Amino acid sequence: MSTFRIEEADRPHIIRLAIIWVILSAIGVIAVLLFLHIPPGDQTVQGADQSNTMLLMTVLATPIFIGVVMLIIYSAIYFRRSGPELADGPPMLGNAPVQVVWIAGSAIIVLFLAFVGITTLATNSSAQTVSGQSSAAASGAGSEMQVQVIAQQWYFTYRYADYGGVESTHLYLPVDRPVELHVTSLDIIHSFWAYQLGVKADANPGVDNIFHVTPQKLGSFQVRCAELCGIWHGEMADSQGQVVSQSDFDTWIAQQQQDYAEIQKVVPSYAPFYFPLPLTKGS
Amino acid sequence: MVRRLSFTAAGVVIVIILVIAFVGLFMLRRPGTLEGQPTTIHLETVGAVGAANEWPRPGDPHPDWVGYLPTTILRVPANSTIKVQIDQEDSATGLRNPFWGKVFGTEGNTMHVTYFDDKGNPQEGDMTTIDPTQAAHTFAIPDLGVFVPLLGVNSNAPAGSTNVITFSFKTKGPGIYHWQCFVPCGAKTVFGNGGPMQTLGYMAGELIVS
Repeated sequence: MSTFRIEEADRPHIIRLAIIWVILSAIGVIAVLLFLHIPPGDQTVQGADQSNTMLLMTVLATPIFIGVVMLIIYSAIYFRRSGPELADGPPMLGNAPVQVVWIAGSAIIVLFLAFVGITTLATNSSAQTVSGQSSAAASGAGSEMQVQVIAQQWYFTYRYADYGGVESTHLYLPVDRPVELHVTSLDIIHSFWAYQLGVKADANPGVDNIFHVTPQKLGSFQVRCAELCGIWHGEMADSQGQVVSQSDFDTWIAQQQQDYAEIQKVVPSYAPFYFPLPLTKGS
Repeated sequence: MVRRLSFTAAGVVIVIILVIAFVGLFMLRRPGTLEGQPTTIHLETVGAVGAANEWPRPGDPHPDWVGYLPTTILRVPANSTIKVQIDQEDSATGLRNPFWGKVFGTEGNTMHVTYFDDKGNPQEGDMTTIDPTQAAHTFAIPDLGVFVPLLGVNSNAPAGSTNVITFSFKTKGPGIYHWQCFVPCGAKTVFGNGGPMQTLGYMAGELIVS
């Protein structure tokens, strides 16, 4: 096996490539940090975790991407065959140092990212799916505020278990308070997608799909359905989701309890999920 | 030289295509002229389109489907009060989510209903909620926050009876808003949400605000 050495004629190319690569990589990384919106943003702790993980991967991938593209373009320009000569270059029989560096570098980057990804996943939105009658115990009575998301054709409604199971047409969440979202459906499969919260959860009938979020920034967020569910799937959206202060939330929830007191009497008591019998017209 | 020219030409072509696509999309987004600006909507809900009293639709491909008549494409002016009268001829099916038994988003959060009680006697009154199991349909415009449950005709009412529901709501800016029913009333379909519930002209409609 031949030893690794740089031909004298290649030196200017390597120096040139290194300079171009460093400059372009610096520009690329700065551009990523400054201009790139990494979904889903930082309205919740979990969303910020997701964003930061993706930002880290993007920042690491940018110099690699720029290096590969740069080598292709540079070679196409400077190592273009210009004459009619058809002579082959010298045979390349493998190069141990280059291979070791290449494999070790790739392995380090991939293992590092795997470690970051797995730890983020483990500490982030630990989602659980519960179906069957035991789910009431699974939800527990921790410090997290329980909010149930009920999908139906074609609207999401929300029930606040800690506030007498009051049901509402919009999702309001208090800031800095951990929330346990229980996503379920009354009819067919929907998907609860609150983009800014960093949550996309399947809404299945007879299933209690649990997600955790902790809002950390005030403001509105979008809710939409992310599972094709019929003619008004595209309209199954609500832009009036709000993260508000705890005092504003208390005012709002009191208003909901007052407004909906009458209908609340006939709404079924709070349960992990509801499975109303398919109704058919008597005819 | 030739290569540089061809690259330039390709770039110019791409820019032109993008401009055309952008202008085309922008034009598509502009609604055309819309005729008619009624501020009163009169609708009839029937258990079977083929058995309509007020607006029969002969030759309808689905005479046994439930439906709103005469049309589910409603044109209304923006930022104005719309009065709605619904002649409700269908019997009750019941709501999947009883929550929709409440009246939302109408003026005064209420509706006026003439109906028949359990003895078959005509009654009249303002309501803010109805018994969810007695809902025949709902008239709901989710993006305007309007959800109105429509009381089903009592089984003890004389044959051919009609409940009349009147309410009014306010429109916002121009746009196309969808409206729908929240009662799974599409008989013989999975969970009652297929068929007429998924078809414009029956239980699905659009409110064109201009």
